[in-house]
Amino acid sequence: MEVKINTQDTVTTAQLIGRLDTPASQEISGDFDNLMNYAAGTVILDCTELEYISSSGLRLFLSLRKAAASKGGNVIVKAINNEIRSVFMMTGFLNLFEIRD
Amino acid sequence: MGKKKQKSLSTKISLWIVLFSGLIFLAALGLFFNESRLAVQKEAIKNASLILDNTIQHINTIMTEVTVAAENMDWLVSRHLDDPDSMLVYSRQILKNNPNLNGCSIAFEPYFFKNKGLYFSAYSFNDNGTILTTQEGNDHYQYWSLDWYQLPKLLDRPCWTEPFSDFNPDDICSPEMIISYCKPLKDDEGTFIGTFSVDLSLRWLSQTISAVKPYPNSYSIMIGQGGTFFVHPDSTKLFYQTIFTPSLLEPDTAMISLGHAMQAGEEGVHELEVDGNDSYVFFKPIKDTGWSVGIVCPAKDIFSGYYRLINSIFGIVVVGLLLMLMIFSSIITKQLEPLENLAYQAETIASGQFDEELPESENNDEIGQLNNSFRNMQQSIVRQMEELKMANEQKGRIQGELAVASGIQRSMLPKIFPPFPDRDDIDVFGRLTPAKEVGGDLFDFYIRDEKLFFCIGDVSGKGVPASLVMAVTKAQFRTISAHEASPDRIISRINDAMAEDNESNMFVTLFVGALDLPTGRLHYTNAGHDAPMLIGNTGAGMLPVDSNLPVGVMPGWKFSVQETMIDPDTTIFLYTDGLTEAEDIEHRQFGMSRIKETALELQGKRIFTPLTIIDRMTDEVHAFVGEADQSDDLTMLAVQYTKHNENITYQRSLTLTNDIKRVPRLNTFIDEVCEANGFDMASIMQINLAIEEAVVNVMNYAYPAGTKGDITVEAKSNGKEVSFVISDTGKPFDPTAKAEVDITLSAEDRSIGGLGIHLIRQIMDHVNYERADGHNILTLIKKMTTES
Repeated sequence: MEVKINTQDTVTTAQLIGRLDTPASQEISGDFDNLMNYAAGTVILDCTELEYISSSGLRLFLSLRKAAASKGGNVIVKAINNEIRSVFMMTGFLNLFEIRD
Repeated sequence: MGKKKQKSLSTKISLWIVLFSGLIFLAALGLFFNESRLAVQKEAIKNASLILDNTIQHINTIMTEVTVAAENMDWLVSRHLDDPDSMLVYSRQILKNNPNLNGCSIAFEPYFFKNKGLYFSAYSFNDNGTILTTQEGNDHYQYWSLDWYQLPKLLDRPCWTEPFSDFNPDDICSPEMIISYCKPLKDDEGTFIGTFSVDLSLRWLSQTISAVKPYPNSYSIMIGQGGTFFVHPDSTKLFYQTIFTPSLLEPDTAMISLGHAMQAGEEGVHELEVDGNDSYVFFKPIKDTGWSVGIVCPAKDIFSGYYRLINSIFGIVVVGLLLMLMIFSSIITKQLEPLENLAYQAETIASGQFDEELPESENNDEIGQLNNSFRNMQQSIVRQMEELKMANEQKGRIQGELAVASGIQRSMLPKIFPPFPDRDDIDVFGRLTPAKEVGGDLFDFYIRDEKLFFCIGDVSGKGVPASLVMAVTKAQFRTISAHEASPDRIISRINDAMAEDNESNMFVTLFVGALDLPTGRLHYTNAGHDAPMLIGNTGAGMLPVDSNLPVGVMPGWKFSVQETMIDPDTTIFLYTDGLTEAEDIEHRQFGMSRIKETALELQGKRIFTPLTIIDRMTDEVHAFVGEADQSDDLTMLAVQYTKHNENITYQRSLTLTNDIKRVPRLNTFIDEVCEANGFDMASIMQINLAIEEAVVNVMNYAYPAGTKGDITVEAKSNGKEVSFVISDTGKPFDPTAKAEVDITLSAEDRSIGGLGIHLIRQIMDHVNYERADGHNILTLIKKMTTES
């Protein structure tokens, strides 16, 4: 699992690459802590190359979303595949995030 | 109608009063009349006898005077036999001295005085005060042949003649009927020389006797020795008829007996009919004569005063009774007038006009009281009817509400049977027959996470209170069992909720079971309910149950949980005491023995599906109860476990240590299993997600940090579905007992946790947790046909 963070002005883009399973979530939790610092602006989670997400991963997403909400920022989830979309649907995450293709 | 009745009542009462008074009068007067008649009779007899005695006394006096006069003259005559002419003087002298006398003869034997020739009888006659004297003997009046001369000569003693009529054609004589006292004259030698005779006028005697008249219509008679009437008011009867003469024509024993009595010289009174009248005849003899004097007194004369009295009294009584009848009748009519009004008003009220105004009676008598009582009653009825009307309206409303409540209560019970048509491992049937509109029995069941949660209960008491508790109990069962799988905890929580502030002291006997469908393991807790029966292929018997208090009795009670394995095809039969205690008309109870009999019979026939058992029990209990009323709710619930081992076509397993790092190994395993069973990519990812969540949960929660343990994932497939059984030996951890997350909440409100089990439920078709033999066993099933 790999996370590439790229900040331009107030927009921070995090590219998530690989399988975000439980151990991976523990692996990248530091990256998400880092992302929280940008939560006052716009954080784009680019999921173009995200193959799988476990509930631990979803929890990371939700934590970021909560931080953004408290700081007045915005979290955009970009380009999720159909499998992850259905997980988002099952969990109600489609309503919590701005989803972009 | 009322008027007529009332009139007849007053008449009737008056008639009765008058009738009784009349009877009393009649009895009293009868006695009185009888007594007074006797008294009057006695008095009359006494009176008449006295009068008769006086008369006889008078007659006797007269006759004694005559006798004495004759005796007094006798010695003069005897001394002067030598002087015939002095006889004329003597006879005249007697009449002079005794004005009552009619005549006097001093008659001698023929040729007694030689110088006077053949006849010498000195006779003096009182011709109305003038005394005529003559020598009466002559050829046409040969006196010595006459009775008055012959009788003393023959009898040789003085005697009275029968009345006779003297007739001397050549000389003076009495023109009247006379009687004579005759005394023989004798010389010194005692030789009869003549008769000294003194005459009494019968008319005079008759007048004397007839003057005796004690009653206006009474009269006197005198008969001689032969029964000849000497004195009688009917002069035609004198001397020619005797007292016996009428009896010759018509035998009259009373008259004959009277005649004989008078002839015999008796004294007394006879009661007999004389000339057609009831009469009393008082009679007494005149001494020395053989004559008898009688006074004939008509009874009606004697009793005339008495009859007058009777008539007056009768008149007064009759008039009095009639007056009484009228007065009573009118008084009673008047007294009953309020009753009549009351009757009329009562009829009006009876016709339904309850508002008819009744006057208040001022009279304090019974009728007044009746009137006032009736008035009170009417007011009471009006009031009661108002209340009844209100009560009926209220009752109607309550009935309506009860009907709605009944509907609501019915709707709270499972009512779609079979309830799980798409499952082949479980069959359930239940039936509740309430005794009233609403009742306190309950049953419920549903499947969650491959477990059948079921309960049956009976709230103490009946009716609305019981139904409320029933509703609460049922709701709590659902709410609590939604995330609490262990029956003892379910019941404990219901108990705590109910026992707290249980002011009505209601309680519930409750049986809660949780049947694990994949394994057939039954966990159950019985809170004071009847033990269920198990009916299976190998027999029928009771499920052993611990004795726990009913729910709601004591807060904090520690309920015990029990566990057993249910063999395939076995039916758990649950019921309430409405079945065991169903009573027939003689109050005998259906009882456990009949339930067992029926169960054994069905077991013997190998037909014990839930529907068969409950139908059969229902028929049996109905046949037993017969005509008797259903006294309690009758509830039955039957659960048949029908799972059979199916053909396993695929089986693999993986054991991991509790290390997060082992998750990719798990993912690989799942991918392989899913691919082998033909799931598409999307499903494979989701299944991976679900299993990963379950396994990570175990790693995180069943094994506390720092402890080591294994997690086994066993995958099986029967061609229709794949089951994943995740087991571990960690501490009990039931992920299904977690509350559902609400996915509709905003980001701020959502909690970070709880997503895992939510996803598992979303992704898998069945989720089931079991804790058995120190293992947490989580079974997740995914159907192969649901997603392509």
